[in-house]
Amino acid sequence: MIAVWLTLALAVIVMLIAALGLLRLPDSLARQHAVTKAVTLALSIMILSLIGFVILQDLGGAWILRLVVLLIILLAFIPLASHALAKSGYQEMIKDEKGKTDATEINDVKR
Amino acid sequence: MNLLMLAMVLMGLAALAGVYRLAVGPTLTDRIIGLDMLFACAIGFCLLAAWTIERTVYLDVAIGLALTSIVVTLSWARLIELQSQEKQS
Repeated sequence: MIAVWLTLALAVIVMLIAALGLLRLPDSLARQHAVTKAVTLALSIMILSLIGFVILQDLGGAWILRLVVLLIILLAFIPLASHALAKSGYQEMIKDEKGKTDATEINDVKR
Repeated sequence: MNLLMLAMVLMGLAALAGVYRLAVGPTLTDRIIGLDMLFACAIGFCLLAAWTIERTVYLDVAIGLALTSIVVTLSWARLIELQSQEKQS
């Protein structure tokens, strides 16, 4: 039972680190990098801790099914959203700096 | 039970950081990042609520919130990207 509480504490600490990065980092790309990865890790650790609690308390298979589905959804789709956020942040960053040679690179690759 | 309450308070502090970035973010992408953080904190709150009352109802809410957060983030990011390209050319 102590391991379950320690894992929950680790998840909350990682979430607070993500919040700190969201507050303190200087750039929108850096903030996106801090938030999405740390949040994925924190939610995965929290789901694992809840799975441990369910197994220890013997609460049944409905919990395990829903938690595994939620874990698969998070691990599959948060990197997708993170990639889209990075692309939009980059486009917004190079919007004001015309004339830079590497500014059109991502457009050439994409089309 | 008290440890769950403490975890909820700390997650609330993380959500406050998301609210700050949603309110005063310099660019539009920063606001969407804050919104993403708020959705993640909501999923965490749903997990902790299911843990507290020991029912599976809040886990369904958490799955729905995860799917909604993906659609919201993808559509806003695509919109900002298209708008920036339009202004650039």
